[in-house]
Amino acid sequence: MLKINNIEVLYHEVILALKAVSLEVPAGEVVALLGANGAGKSTTLKAISGLLRHENGKVAEGSIEFLGERIDRKSAEEIARMGIIQVIEGRRVFEHLTVEQNLKVGAHLGGNGAMVRNGLEAVYHYFPRLQERRNVVAGMGLAPLLIKEIFEIITRLHQEQGIAILLVEQNAKLALAVARHAYVLEGGRVVMDGPSEQLRENPDIRDFYLGLTDLGARKSFRAVKHYKRRKRWIT
Amino acid sequence: METFLQLVITGILVGSIYALVALGWTIIYKCSGVLNLAMGELTLLGAYVCLAFYTWGFPFPVALLATLIVGFVLGLLTERLFLRRMIGQPILAVIMITAGLSFFFRAVVGFIWGTDTRVFTPPVFPTEPVRLGKMVMGQVYIWSFLAALVLLLVFVGFFQYSRWGLSMQAAADDEMAALSLGVSVKRVYALAWAIAFMAAGVGGTLLGNINGLNISVGYLGILVLPAVVLGGLNSVPGAIVGGITIGILQNLSGGYLEQLTPGGVKDIAPFVFMVIIMLFRPYGLWGWEKIERV
Ligand SMILES: Nc1ncnc2c1ncn2[C@@H]1O[C@H](COP(=O)(O)OP(=O)(O)O)[C@@H](O)[C@H]1O
Ligand SMILES: [Mg+2]
Repeated sequence: MLKINNIEVLYHEVILALKAVSLEVPAGEVVALLGANGAGKSTTLKAISGLLRHENGKVAEGSIEFLGERIDRKSAEEIARMGIIQVIEGRRVFEHLTVEQNLKVGAHLGGNGAMVRNGLEAVYHYFPRLQERRNVVAGMGLAPLLIKEIFEIITRLHQEQGIAILLVEQNAKLALAVARHAYVLEGGRVVMDGPSEQLRENPDIRDFYLGLTDLGARKSFRAVKHYKRRKRWIT
Repeated sequence: METFLQLVITGILVGSIYALVALGWTIIYKCSGVLNLAMGELTLLGAYVCLAFYTWGFPFPVALLATLIVGFVLGLLTERLFLRRMIGQPILAVIMITAGLSFFFRAVVGFIWGTDTRVFTPPVFPTEPVRLGKMVMGQVYIWSFLAALVLLLVFVGFFQYSRWGLSMQAAADDEMAALSLGVSVKRVYALAWAIAFMAAGVGGTLLGNINGLNISVGYLGILVLPAVVLGGLNSVPGAIVGGITIGILQNLSGGYLEQLTPGGVKDIAPFVFMVIIMLFRPYGLWGWEKIERV
């Protein structure tokens, strides 16, 4: 459904952030994107959603297709309208709007009033606490969900609504538990990909991303860092 | 006491016009971070457009409505022609463009309508003053207040309830997040300019009704700056309260201090007040610091 073919991404025309990245998200599936800080995960998402241009970045080579249509030249607005939404990282709400106004900004993508209402209802179904606080200003008194709750909701959205998800998460263990397939980015390249079960068993992944040695004990941060410097992924 | 009350009430009535123009400033700043130095010229342009319609024989409400429509179109056009290409450029460069626009619009107004003072003839509002107890109030003030109030309510309603109003507020809070939800930021900028033109045009028209219309109506743009700063550059309610506060302040200083000094106090008082407020609240009473998040 979503297909990235060999893209190269540049920031400010010179900073090469992604090199020959290809990946695929089939309809209705959850795919995880793993990688250390600065590997290019956020850049990949922004390339898909069209937000890249807002940071003076661009897809210089390759293409991105959604439902058979090229989207790498489209604006963020058009891409969102086609049904791809990037949930940007951090606690980002429109803090001077109420909870419900926040939701309406997104729901308006749907167009007519009935769709806005349905959209709001669906959100309140998944997040009942929000309905109680619909008229609260979002900048005050909204607690972030626990990561466990977020994963539960992602799983439900995927199972009940059939939404396809490209998941970027620092916590590789959780991400691999939810996703069927995963890609590993390093230095702007895909260095490994495969079904989650397979990656979970991969010794390098266990070592570096899951922080487990063969004994199942956590490695110290220093050891992991060192490991990173010594060894590069080989595809 | 009556004098005081009269000054305060007149201040509120005139202040509502300031509030309208202040809202125009605020909406552009809020949505795009640009201080629009052409604000005064937008009030001029709107006032002359309304005068033209009125002189052609349209009833005043129709002329005002036509001014709103012309303002809307001119706002979209200005954004498209002069500001769209500046998106992503340093904010100072964009502000300089608005300085250029101010000279441009002023020249256009001078070229079409000349520099003589014009008045709306026949007078739009009855000249018979209204008596409230011991107070005497020109009807033009009362009608202007009502017109400004209606428009302010319409704008506030638009921001709070309409799809595009919410989009504008969202983009002002977090542009990246708004983009990620499919909000067209270009359209938000264009709408901000359209609203600024409409608000300024009506503000200029109302003031032109009170004082007569010449190039000095354009000083309204700078005069309301203290109101905008006072309220906080990015707060719509702040602009409204700020406008009314400045109206009251101006009238009080005019009423009480003018006898003691050789004139001009009325015009300076708001700025003195602005400086004092800024010393203590750099973001105004309701403004907030915009934190850029990456
Ligand atoms: N706006 C930007 N301008 C310039 N370089 C950037 C920008 N955003 C990210 N980069 C660079 O691109 C690379 C990938 O970053 P990013 O995609 O944020 O990594 P990740 O999300 O995996 O931590 C990094 O080297 C980073 O410095
Ligand atoms: Mg990132």
